[in-house]
Amino acid sequence: MSYVNEVFRGAVAIAQAFGVTLKALLSSPLTVEYPEQPAAVYPRFRARHELRRYENGLERCIGCMLCEAACPTGAIHVEAAENDPEHPTSPGERYAKVYDVNLMRCVFCGDCETACPVEAVVLGHDFELAVYNRAGLLLQKEQLLNPKAPNVVVRAE
Amino acid sequence: MPDLVTLTVDDVKVTVPAGTLVVDAAKAAGIEIPIFCSHPKLDPLGACRMCLVEFVGPRGSKLDTACTVRVSEGMTVRTSTEQVKAVREANLGFILINHPLDCPICDKGGECPLQDQTMAYGAGVSQFVEAKRQKQKHYPISDLILLDQERCILCWRCIRYLDEWEDKPQIGLFERGGETVIDTFPGQPVDAATSGNIIDICPVGALTNRVSRFRFRPWELKKTPSVCTLCPVGCNLRLDERVHELRRIVARENLAVNDEWLCDKGRFLHQYVDHPERLRTPLVRDAAGEALRPATWDEALHRVIEKLGDIADTNGANALGGIASARVSNEAAYLFQKFFRALVGANNIDFADGSAVKAQPTGLSAIADIAKSDLIVLVGFDPSEAAPVLDLHIKRAARRAGAKLLVINPRRIALAKYPGAYLPVLPGGEAWDLNGLATALQAARAANQAGSKPAPAPTGKAKLETKVAVMAELRPAYDLLAAAKAPLFIYGPDAARGQLGKLAVTALSNLAVALGFGDRLAYVGAEANSQGARDMGLLSDTLPGHQPVTDAAVRERLGKLWGVQPPAEPGQSYAAMAAGGVKALYVMGANPAATVAGAEALHKLDFLVVQDLFLTETAQLADVVLPATSFAEADGTYTNLERRVQRGPQGIKPAGESQADWAILAALAEKWLASQTVDTGEVSKAIEQPDWKKKRRKIKAGPAPKPWNYPTAQAVLDEIGKAVPPYASLRWDALGEAGVQWSTSALVRAPRRVEPVDVAPIAAAPAGSFTLVSGPLLWDNGPLMPYGAEQVRKLTPTPFVALNPADLTMAALAEGRQVTVTSAYGNVTLTLKADASVQPGTAWVPANLAGAPAETLGAVRGEPVSVAVKLV
Repeated sequence: MSYVNEVFRGAVAIAQAFGVTLKALLSSPLTVEYPEQPAAVYPRFRARHELRRYENGLERCIGCMLCEAACPTGAIHVEAAENDPEHPTSPGERYAKVYDVNLMRCVFCGDCETACPVEAVVLGHDFELAVYNRAGLLLQKEQLLNPKAPNVVVRAE
Repeated sequence: MPDLVTLTVDDVKVTVPAGTLVVDAAKAAGIEIPIFCSHPKLDPLGACRMCLVEFVGPRGSKLDTACTVRVSEGMTVRTSTEQVKAVREANLGFILINHPLDCPICDKGGECPLQDQTMAYGAGVSQFVEAKRQKQKHYPISDLILLDQERCILCWRCIRYLDEWEDKPQIGLFERGGETVIDTFPGQPVDAATSGNIIDICPVGALTNRVSRFRFRPWELKKTPSVCTLCPVGCNLRLDERVHELRRIVARENLAVNDEWLCDKGRFLHQYVDHPERLRTPLVRDAAGEALRPATWDEALHRVIEKLGDIADTNGANALGGIASARVSNEAAYLFQKFFRALVGANNIDFADGSAVKAQPTGLSAIADIAKSDLIVLVGFDPSEAAPVLDLHIKRAARRAGAKLLVINPRRIALAKYPGAYLPVLPGGEAWDLNGLATALQAARAANQAGSKPAPAPTGKAKLETKVAVMAELRPAYDLLAAAKAPLFIYGPDAARGQLGKLAVTALSNLAVALGFGDRLAYVGAEANSQGARDMGLLSDTLPGHQPVTDAAVRERLGKLWGVQPPAEPGQSYAAMAAGGVKALYVMGANPAATVAGAEALHKLDFLVVQDLFLTETAQLADVVLPATSFAEADGTYTNLERRVQRGPQGIKPAGESQADWAILAALAEKWLASQTVDTGEVSKAIEQPDWKKKRRKIKAGPAPKPWNYPTAQAVLDEIGKAVPPYASLRWDALGEAGVQWSTSALVRAPRRVEPVDVAPIAAAPAGSFTLVSGPLLWDNGPLMPYGAEQVRKLTPTPFVALNPADLTMAALAEGRQVTVTSAYGNVTLTLKADASVQPGTAWVPANLAGAPAETLGAVRGEPVSVAVKLV
């Protein structure tokens, strides 16, 4: 009697296990064919820094250096300068003449984003940071202002 | 001892002198009352209402401003009640109604009292949703300062500073009520020489520094306490560094020296430190002798000792000379003279206005004595241009302490407007007038002593009889001197140069002695460390410690310290060396080639070494150029005009491979010593080796110089203490941030007796020509000015000659025309100006203008020069 019971239970366990397999067999696969296919990231995913512009083309950054102060690893260096009133770089008196980010130091904590009073610096979705030399990880203002379109899809939160 | 008053602040009993303001009494009790308009150095006003506190009286408590109420016995003050807190919150709310949210782009942000106090005492939320008032933003009120009217909270600090300290009320309040703005008067920018202080005392970012604008955020700066090296006052300042650049200079408090003020030159002239034209490597002249090429330190120093050694061997040690500047630190000055005296074996060392000027060794008794004097005598010295912070102290004494000013100067300087007397003299004519005054005072004193029954004290200040005959033009000056109870005598290089200057100084010291104040006579040099350079013996005829080179005992003492005694014969003076009296010249920080004649003389030298920050006219002629550091990049001590030895620590990284002046000299001496062998009569094997590194010079057998071992500036100062008796008690660590005055007790040299003076009046220039008058200008084209920020460079005038308007009319000349000014020494083309402060018959050409016009005309020769002025 107990022997029959044991065989029966074993059969049920096997059927349950194969049930999982069968269910997965029928659902669509999770594997992403990266890099042919974009990776999916959440909207708040934090990767490479970007500097934003206003719609009229002026830079948002005013060179206040608060991101530099907030940065826990000293990865940001900003030098400010005075706008030429005829050809302003940003609205107001002050703009960032130099804006360097050292990605080797950055821990992608997002404190710079939080500190920014004009929402100029944001951590974008571009996580493809691999480069062939160290200099490639030292981002300058031009690179930050003109980021490439990240190879991602944004998934719902 | 003033009366003391005891009061209670928040249950803390505190005893303070009567007359103290409640806000200061609370600070003494350790209780902070927030303030905006109140300032310890300005008169109370009560404009911002931030310091409202509760005064408890018999009929309940009332609110009043702690910054205007003076303490009284038994007063009870409450600073942290609910009512006070509510009032502070409300007051900050009112102040912030129209204060723009500029904090991220405001240079004050991070060190802003309004930010700090809003965080500490504010409500935390704003009730105000309406639009803020729009006013003028970021517009210049001078070349150096920007005003933002929106940020201004109307505390009046800038208005009060310019009025109370500068006596130049150039900023005022305009409009009424909420429309009130701070502004300058139309068409009149702020031009006070210490205007930058209003940036420091502004409690918000309404007044900002144009030179440092947007170049820093306060929290990013590395701050180093240092001293200014642009004039002999030695104001205390702070170097603010970021990424190895000197971004800003602000004043630092030292109540004995500069209170908390700084002049505009000291504050704004600092970009030369990071200038791209700074010398970054040593330069040597290439084989063809045409161009300078970069070299290593090793090569450059070897070239120097090799050539200097060769010239010394062929022509004797006296063919070598050294010209230094009195801008360098005590350490550099000491090692410079030690290099020449102990290693080269010549006394040929000097600086401009060095041995040519008869200076009192002790300087000013104390800057604080200015406020305690009832008569300040200024002879050939214009503090407004030469030392603006000293000028502040003198103006304060004249306006607040009732001091009189006796100005003896060829030009009616700005300070001559204060009560007292102005005695116009011709350059070189000071001796005649001073001698007349001294003789009259001596006669009066003799008559006084004869008339009085009890013998008067040696410094008898009994009333002097004024029956003595005095020339009519000297009468006002005589009356002032005879009435003075605490006079102070200050003279500058312009009255003390050359033979006539020596007479003038003797006459002035006779005058001081006749009044019984021989110890209140001070010489103030032109360059920052003039006092220190003299203490260090950077003079052709004076050893360290103001001892003459002819003093055998001092030479022996120094011989024990150095291993070799300094030579006994006085060396050549600056003028003699710059005119080509030597074959090889070592120039440290000076620029004798600024004039054409000076450059021609240097052309004839066999060998010229220049140690400087920039490729000056002199450095362009040099065979070897050694890059030196500025005051901000090297440790060193400087001695100011009141003998205060102050430390100027290294604040930033040196530019390129440049090294401290003293370190270069120490390295050079090490190589010099290594290249020498004592001549024992044998042929040295080293000479067979042609390699210049192995080449050794033979010197005569005799005492060998001791090795030079100076790892740090402190090691040099330790040796200075052994060589210069008044410095013996100074300790590097004890100098601290405020410096230490060396005591004159180690060097009693105050003139005590009257020396007869034989002078003749100076003849005025013949009709149709003018007597040349020169002197300092704050914004001259001095050695560092061309490398300052653009805003600073703009302040230097184009080279000009100024005549009295009456002379201009008589000679039928018009202002603004180009004129040729000719003297016996040269001619220059200058722009003509009219200036009522210039006396009739004289022509004013400031020193150190571009192209050195005054120097070319022979202004610094210490003798009257007549010039002709003709239209081009």
